[in-house]
Amino acid sequence: MAEFSASVYQNEFLPDGGTDVHAIVTVECKGAGAAGQSGSGDAGEIIIVDTSGSMGADGVRAAAYAAQTALDQILDGVWFAVISGNDRAQLAFPPSPEPVMVRMDQFTRQAAKDAVARFYADGGTAMGTWLRLAGRVFATVPSLTQKHAILLTDGENQHETPEALTQAIESVTGQFQADCRGVGVAWVVDEVRRIAKALLGTVDIIPAPELLAREFSKLIQNAMSRGVAQADLRVWAPQGAEVLFVRQVAPTVEDLTSRRTAVNPLTGSYPTGSWGDESRDYHVAIRLAAKAIGQEQLAARVQLAIGDDVVAQGLVKALWSGDEALTTRINPEVAHYTGQTELADAIQEGLAAKAAGDTATATTKLGRAVQLAAQTGNEEATTRLRKVVDIEDQETGTVRLKRTVEKADEMALDTASTKTTRVKK
Amino acid sequence: MTSTTQTVCPSCGGPVSEADRYCEACGAELQAAAAAPATPALDTDTEPTVEINTNPVDPCHSCGGVVGADGYCETCGTKAVKPRDHFTEQPAPWVAGTCDRGIRHSRNEDAMAIAADAEPGSRALLVVCDGVSSSLDSDVASLAAARAARDVLVAGHAQGMGTESSKNSAVVARLNAAADAANDAVLENTSPDSPNPASCTFVAAVLEDGLLVAGVVGDSRAYWFPDDGEAVGLTVDDSWAAELIATGIPRAQAESGPHAHAITRWLGKDAPDHTPRTTTLRVTGPGWLMACSDGLWNYCSEAAPLADLTRQTAAANGGDPLATSSALVDWANAQGGQDNITVALARLA
Repeated sequence: MAEFSASVYQNEFLPDGGTDVHAIVTVECKGAGAAGQSGSGDAGEIIIVDTSGSMGADGVRAAAYAAQTALDQILDGVWFAVISGNDRAQLAFPPSPEPVMVRMDQFTRQAAKDAVARFYADGGTAMGTWLRLAGRVFATVPSLTQKHAILLTDGENQHETPEALTQAIESVTGQFQADCRGVGVAWVVDEVRRIAKALLGTVDIIPAPELLAREFSKLIQNAMSRGVAQADLRVWAPQGAEVLFVRQVAPTVEDLTSRRTAVNPLTGSYPTGSWGDESRDYHVAIRLAAKAIGQEQLAARVQLAIGDDVVAQGLVKALWSGDEALTTRINPEVAHYTGQTELADAIQEGLAAKAAGDTATATTKLGRAVQLAAQTGNEEATTRLRKVVDIEDQETGTVRLKRTVEKADEMALDTASTKTTRVKK
Repeated sequence: MTSTTQTVCPSCGGPVSEADRYCEACGAELQAAAAAPATPALDTDTEPTVEINTNPVDPCHSCGGVVGADGYCETCGTKAVKPRDHFTEQPAPWVAGTCDRGIRHSRNEDAMAIAADAEPGSRALLVVCDGVSSSLDSDVASLAAARAARDVLVAGHAQGMGTESSKNSAVVARLNAAADAANDAVLENTSPDSPNPASCTFVAAVLEDGLLVAGVVGDSRAYWFPDDGEAVGLTVDDSWAAELIATGIPRAQAESGPHAHAITRWLGKDAPDHTPRTTTLRVTGPGWLMACSDGLWNYCSEAAPLADLTRQTAAANGGDPLATSSALVDWANAQGGQDNITVALARLA
């Protein structure tokens, strides 16, 4: 049985007239078990593979091999299907004109592998159709509580309008989770990130087709180790208070603020998807009405809920004090993640400016990113930034854009921009 | 807040001043010992070992909402009042008191213990102790002290030889015994190796068939406010300010000085002497007997205006002692609530 715990890191002391409370809440899950085996419903997995013409014979062969490797990792008993996508979506397995799923066993596994081997490259790219079909396929098995897909693409979403993709994303949001991967450098990070964000998944670049199999295998293993099908973060704030923002800040930065649904007038719920044995950090900011010095109040109850059951709770407090030694202290966790969030923004804004030809803004933003990566000890980000800019001075963030940059390096910097490092204890 | 101007060496017990780095008597280093207890002294969540009965499902005192299992209101987030932070007693309809943390302090180190016979005006015993905030566990020690003193006074029925003066002597003897018991209670609640032993003030007022005797150690006070006649301060503080007043400096000036709250006598391990100084009064007409801590009188020190405030507050609360004590505490909080506040009252009709 999964066990959750929550710990709060904050400086609860506010100065006279102070209103804003910031806290980092770490939620940890232990004993999650395996997907579909917790007794609270079945798990479903759909593999979505790009078979558009741009994939080419070699690309499709690598993708088929990767899909077969992924099939090997899906646990027996888990419901599954395979979708091949180009400018429209086809159910490649089970072979059926109507949406359908089957349970994994040795026979269905082999049949699926055989079906995948018959993939060939043809047609364009319309990812919205892939997502809609996946939604319909998942919907055929009512017992599914945990629905996960991996989506592979290699190109721009040329064969449907951006609006059509947006509508498709909206129609499946909340229906299933999806980890998205782009192979090569012809796909658009923003486009695929939009899908992954909405579907509570990750986005990453796979520079070469031969690396696909290992990545797919890892993604499925990860999905299979998530025994908690669905959990929500709940944030209670007192009457009259304002929730300034709710962000996941580790392992990646995700702003959850706009995903709020009301549990009751004072409590909002934010979907967090499935959980394995892991910990995630959340940054919660609350604005209160100031109270007199010496007064104490609760600023937020931050809870993890499975269905209607609250399984962990952290208390964020506010205590007004006249002691400057207490009120001016900056909590190291809050400072660290504030920096990491700014780092993600600086990288994304810098790369967007660079793509738009705005060298001055790109230089400033990426310079700031270099500075923040150094300050927060995010060495991975520093390494990725080095491939895009020449660093003159890390401390002041003085950089020059490199004349020639590998497209894959730039995309890797972009997709990894939201990855954060933990506070060094 | 009550503080001491002098303290003792934690090593040999000899007198030292706060400015000393080493003990004159034994040479022990003093600053390190003084710095050590900082953390436990700030621990506001330690509950006293003495139980206080309150209803655990009381609604939020701020908005009336439901208090959650985590101790905070589920509507406005206000921290629920810990039983030790605010409590009342009313042993008889005509005798009651309220003891409150105030606003600025994180802990209630004031304490109160009262007793009364049912028949109005017959017998009332009011004890108030104010813990010294610079010492450890004073909230626990002050409550234990007040209750120990009350129990001694409740048990004591010695009347002397029947004359007024011998009866007075008997009550004074009871007050001395009560102060001894209170002092013992403080010592029992002080860790033997505490570098900063618990200490508190003591005021007790005994009213028996018109004879009123008050005893004091420190700067908690007792007053008699007759409905007709001049208000009487029954106690003289053992304080730096009181010593200044004795030399002719005006009360308002003395009590606003930098050492106004420094007391010269207290109960506890390092107490120089804890025999209460007593005052006796023969009460004839109706009026209010009050025992209070400096959390109240800081905002109204003179007997006459405090009598006016008490009479007005009583009038606004239908003459009910409990409501009046509670309203006086609210009044002190409205003035700033800089310190813990205790008000105990007996109404003589």
